[in-house]
Amino acid sequence: MVILPSLLMNLMKRWFDLLSRKINFYLLEYALKYILRDKYKNFFIFTIMTLLVTLLASTLLLSNLLKLEYNKFIDTYPDIIVMQQKAGKDVTVNEKIVDDLLNINGVSMAVGRIYGEYKFEKAESIFHLVGIDEFEESQNKFIEGLKKQNSLDKDSMLVSKDVATLLKKNYYENYFNFIKSDGTFKKVFIAKSFPTKDSLQNSQLILMPKETLREIFGFQVEEVSDIALKVTNKEEIAFIATKIESEFINAKVIVQEDIRHFYEHIYNYRSGFFLVIFIISFFTFFIIIYDKMSGLNSTQKKEIGVLKALGWRVEDVLNARLYEGIIISISAYFFGIFLAYIYVFTLKAPLLKEIFLNNYNLIYDYKMEFYIDYNVLAILFFLSVPIYIIATIVPSWRVATLDADEVMR
Amino acid sequence: MFLNKLLKITLLTSLCSVVLFASPIISKEIKEKKIYPMGKKIYEKRCKELKLHNYKSYEALSSDLANSKVCGKLNAKHLQALSLYLWDVKRNSLEELQAITVTKDEKCQVCGMYLHYYPNWICEIDYPHNEIYKFDGVKDMMKFYFNNEEGISRVVVKDYYTLKSIDARKAYFVVGSDVLGPMGNELIPFKDKKSAMTFALDHNGNSPLSFDELNEKMVRSIE
Repeated sequence: MVILPSLLMNLMKRWFDLLSRKINFYLLEYALKYILRDKYKNFFIFTIMTLLVTLLASTLLLSNLLKLEYNKFIDTYPDIIVMQQKAGKDVTVNEKIVDDLLNINGVSMAVGRIYGEYKFEKAESIFHLVGIDEFEESQNKFIEGLKKQNSLDKDSMLVSKDVATLLKKNYYENYFNFIKSDGTFKKVFIAKSFPTKDSLQNSQLILMPKETLREIFGFQVEEVSDIALKVTNKEEIAFIATKIESEFINAKVIVQEDIRHFYEHIYNYRSGFFLVIFIISFFTFFIIIYDKMSGLNSTQKKEIGVLKALGWRVEDVLNARLYEGIIISISAYFFGIFLAYIYVFTLKAPLLKEIFLNNYNLIYDYKMEFYIDYNVLAILFFLSVPIYIIATIVPSWRVATLDADEVMR
Repeated sequence: MFLNKLLKITLLTSLCSVVLFASPIISKEIKEKKIYPMGKKIYEKRCKELKLHNYKSYEALSSDLANSKVCGKLNAKHLQALSLYLWDVKRNSLEELQAITVTKDEKCQVCGMYLHYYPNWICEIDYPHNEIYKFDGVKDMMKFYFNNEEGISRVVVKDYYTLKSIDARKAYFVVGSDVLGPMGNELIPFKDKKSAMTFALDHNGNSPLSFDELNEKMVRSIE
């Protein structure tokens, strides 16, 4: 392991040596001066290219990132959720059907879940209450981890750090009085508070035994919010879902794949906006390219003529132009990517994010962890840098191949 | 005469006692999917050091667990789960077959396909001295089996529903269903006849076959 850095340094040094032998620094200087001579025009091109790369990189990065995150989130959902509907609205389910569901071949786990929201009017916040049974299985890894560490008595609860501080502010240090559905109070003691790793999803979470939560929500003894199923062989999920639908007429069956499709649908619809942005910005870019390709003006032509008269070869002229193209396009590309990364990961993509996230989305919790999307980087590189370089070289090549006197005439 | 009567009486009483004091009647599926996992969790979290051979009956175990609080305070549901788990599973120490695992570069012995793409379909034939052959479906495994039947120590397949490794010689197989394996139509293994029947009905399969009913001609005719 000690050898590696020195090896890397050696390699870099050799590469740099090779590069410095290949690069003609006089030509490079000439190219820089050439750029500075047309300061405003080149600066304009540089800005447009930077903005273009920034815009495309940030949209592509953001949409890929959000897709990654919602897929990660949906993975925590159970394979199948069984709910019940009355008059077209979701109602509670009787836990007795758990045994019938377990008798279906292929279902490996069925658990009645109790959860819901509780509005704490005084602090204007909403708590997310989840009923747990210490020894039941649940597919939420976060809750499962908490259950492993703690054991809850009746009338006690685990609250997140955020909830604990909020309650403390309202003078509830050891307990909280929930208002039950019949208007009376229910005193529940705070057993412990848990850190949530700055995840929005769990920041308002309160866990308590199922019986206590039933009392607060006013549920009957065997009433649950819904039933979560786990299917071992994933190929059977679709079939089992249809089987449950036909066996329990009132049941509403949701498969994990349905939720994924729902999100994909929203995202694809919104990706349409990005396609429009993408197309418009590329048209702008290609107009610039077209303008460059269509030819040089008389001063530029004359300059090439003078250079040739001074004894420059065609190769030298083209090399100078190549340096010019590389300097502008590569610096614009890297600067654009840099800005995009700052916009997405440091500023958390304000405005653009709002296009994706609105009330239809149940997920607000996007951690947006830093990652490098090589596909996006490669796409943008090959769409911008080589095209620009070609657009700078080709017209000069046309002129440079002519005789000097013909050009200057 | 007297002896005969005595024998009858003792037989009857023992039968009664078995019926009266046996563990509660709950279907096998529910026990396996709901009660045993819960009992296992309680056992592992609360009472690892419990000595099971001290108890003579299920009742003794369950009442002792309730009264002595070796495993802490438990409600009725948890108590039942724990005692059923201890009595049925832990006491008999039912051993499951070790799950079949594959590495990334293992291939099917018959068709040469990589196995790690199809973890649900892997089967295995073992010979003594750690000689193991793996296949990507029962069809391919049986082709190998009929040619090299001698000296096989163990044949393992994966139950379609639970994906647990089971002894193929006790398994049931369904052909002609609408579920396709990696090699197309497949003999799909099940741990018991009941689940094989349900599968055959659900997925338009033929009636289940036991391991002995499979023959080479039939296996080779499956495409």
